[in-house]
Amino acid sequence: MVREVSESCVESLLAEIVLSYCSGFYANKPELAARRIEAIGFQVGHQLSERYTMDRPRFTDNLEAIKFICKDFWSELFKKQIDNLKTNHRGTFVLQDNKFRWLAHMSIDPSVQASGNIQDPSAMAENKSAQATGMHLYFPCGIIRGALSNLGIACAVSADISNLPACSFVIRIKA
Amino acid sequence: MIVCLAVVGHQNNPLYIQSFTDADDALKLHHIVHCSLDVIDERVNNPKKSSPTINEAFLGLLYPTENYKAYGYLTNTKVKFILVTTDLDVRDADVRSFFRRFHTAYVDAVSNPFHIPGKKITSKTFAERVSTIVKSFGLSSAS
Repeated sequence: MVREVSESCVESLLAEIVLSYCSGFYANKPELAARRIEAIGFQVGHQLSERYTMDRPRFTDNLEAIKFICKDFWSELFKKQIDNLKTNHRGTFVLQDNKFRWLAHMSIDPSVQASGNIQDPSAMAENKSAQATGMHLYFPCGIIRGALSNLGIACAVSADISNLPACSFVIRIKA
Repeated sequence: MIVCLAVVGHQNNPLYIQSFTDADDALKLHHIVHCSLDVIDERVNNPKKSSPTINEAFLGLLYPTENYKAYGYLTNTKVKFILVTTDLDVRDADVRSFFRRFHTAYVDAVSNPFHIPGKKITSKTFAERVSTIVKSFGLSSAS
């Protein structure tokens, strides 16, 4: 049984989650808001990975699990695969999506350069629009982390916006 | 007849354990389930390299005792399902299809947003669904 979810509903919901956490519940604490949004994503990823791995043989190593995230998991979520996967073979993986669906409809004031690393707090302060976009990426980061941790891989996930709507997710596996 | 079913989390914490007998032998059945956990660990950590289905979720017959047979299943998320049955001539295909249906029920149960991951499954709907699946076990082969 395949259940479909309206894409615009999910997008609106995500926008609303970000809005209510960032300017409602935790207006003065952006780190806390980010953590809460990430936690929601974590639970979603945790539960989805349970469902999407049902018909697969067990993964033998981390790379196989990451490949699963890039291919099948991403296809289920976004109807496309990750465009590029890079790894340093020491536990860091970079997943690049050239047209990330949840950023596809996001517009940014063109006068402001839309680049910035959401991991870097100083860059965040400088660049408000990148910060606002970055807030929307905590949820997918949480999804990836939740899915991997359910598969037995403890990791940290961060996101990078290079050039909308492209974005990359950096997975660091904890040794 | 299936006499006991257990779902065990990745840290060997019980998530769901249910016996289906009228007699007061729950403790004995739980003991069998407990013993099976070691067998599962052994199977997963020292797989037989020759086996073609090396990473299949279905682990097959774990160990037979005089009156019972224990079957195991390990999901990708390291959750173990253990089935204890009194039938002595069970077909693998039946057990496989049983685990598949049980897995679907389990996935639906843990996808409930009110279920806390790693905690016991208390859903009544899940319990009802499981007992339906248990009752239908082996019926397909008879017909």
